[in-house]
Amino acid sequence: MAVDSKTLELRALLNKQYRWIDRKWDLVFWVTAAFVVGAAADITKQLFAGDWDFWTDWKDRQWWPIITPFAIIIIGSALQYIQWLAWRFPTGMTYTAVAMFLCTLIGRWLQWGAFVYYPMNFVWPATMVAAAIFADWVLLKTKSFVLTSIIGSILFAVTWWISNYIPLAPYLQPAQWMDRVVTVADIQGIEYVRSQTPEYLRIIEHGSLRTFLGETQYVSLVFGATVAIAGYWVGQFIARALAIWPIGRFMKKW
Amino acid sequence: MTDVATPTAERPTADEPEWKPGRGPIDWMGGWRVLWFGSLAFLALAAAIRIFQQFTAWTVGIDASSRDFGLYYRSLFIAEVIGVTAGTLIWWGYLVRKGRTVVAKESSHPEEVRRIAVFWGLIGITCVILYIMASFWPNQDGSWHQTAVRDTALTPSHIPMFFLFFPLGITLTVGTYLYGRYWLPKVYGAEKGFPWSFFFLIAASVTEMAQVAMNEWGHSLWITEEIFAVPFHWPFVFYGWLASGIFALWAETIIRLLQIEGEIEAEAGQPAEEVA
Repeated sequence: MAVDSKTLELRALLNKQYRWIDRKWDLVFWVTAAFVVGAAADITKQLFAGDWDFWTDWKDRQWWPIITPFAIIIIGSALQYIQWLAWRFPTGMTYTAVAMFLCTLIGRWLQWGAFVYYPMNFVWPATMVAAAIFADWVLLKTKSFVLTSIIGSILFAVTWWISNYIPLAPYLQPAQWMDRVVTVADIQGIEYVRSQTPEYLRIIEHGSLRTFLGETQYVSLVFGATVAIAGYWVGQFIARALAIWPIGRFMKKW
Repeated sequence: MTDVATPTAERPTADEPEWKPGRGPIDWMGGWRVLWFGSLAFLALAAAIRIFQQFTAWTVGIDASSRDFGLYYRSLFIAEVIGVTAGTLIWWGYLVRKGRTVVAKESSHPEEVRRIAVFWGLIGITCVILYIMASFWPNQDGSWHQTAVRDTALTPSHIPMFFLFFPLGITLTVGTYLYGRYWLPKVYGAEKGFPWSFFFLIAASVTEMAQVAMNEWGHSLWITEEIFAVPFHWPFVFYGWLASGIFALWAETIIRLLQIEGEIEAEAGQPAEEVA
């Protein structure tokens, strides 16, 4: 099969022998960047949507599907832009997801579990790995940030909810507590005292959610998907204006 | 790119020492040594404080008026502030004083490559510091403050986070710039002006530290104490995003690395071997 000149040129570039550039530079970049990427994604999640991610009983049907996808897609979107621009890798969102999950898991284990002694089945973190893979897949197929922001963000929010509903489902089973039918997650929230959080049910699931035929969670999910589109463009701004734009300015003086 | 062995050709000039085996510019225990030792040192420091908390936080760390709190935690706070201030001034002072002599000398290609590896090591350490200050301690801060009633701004979780690792963020970002300015003058020399990449990164570390004041004021309001995702916490996120400038640092120095490769090719009079 004939190989075009562009392919040959790229192959030559790929296989070029350098004097001082070896794989260590790649390794150092990908590993050390994971620390700052994971931390940025984790702090964005914690301070924008943390309460809804810390506790099983806060993983509700009204706010959790809206604010969490918005918060966690931001840094993923930024890395998607950076990695696509630098290497044409459709991996930025997944890279962020894995880095954030490791950071969050260490935090939950060492600080929430081993320090304050909450059981991990009460304070487990949501994951965005599956959702991120889909968002990266959309970028791979469309090669367009506009289309990824629309299709990918919607897919991201829906996949995020489905993939986290699986670990959450056991805690939504009905149980009897003081002659009342509540969920297992509700009992966790009552039994494990959090003296600095709002009184139980004052904020979580207020309104008519429990008398609305269970439809509100789907309304929240769709709204969450639209909000995630906005979050995606916040991430694009971060990447374009704060990470990449300085390189262009630098090159002008080179 | 393909993996290459430690170079044997293009040794340093006679006035510069030749490196020992395994200590070359791009060997793990050569140019990359700073990355290993620095990152592990700060991770070990965070781990040591975390172990200390395990035995003291819930016994003597919950009553700021007690004698034991003063003995264990207020003294830790004072030691941190003095230590990080002194360490920062000594390191920055060294970088400026030594740097003024270093910048005046022309460096060989291997030496410049080694300095870029050290620079990347400093960036790596900064990444580790940012992880500790933006994920490791905030998780503890969340667990502590949603659980325990706060009676002071100097809580066991705040003391290492706000008053040790937040300042260390400034120490590392400014120190990395000083290293770049004096040790890598062809990239960050004074005549090139102050790069936006460092402006954003240093701004992130400085504004995070400044935000601590607003944070403590905000926590003096009762209702904001209850929610971790409360709006007055959001500036920590906005300022943290400025640290994205760190990606530009990697790009800017890899440009110089590629330029060095080009200069080596030009000196040799032929392009480097290409494998199609």
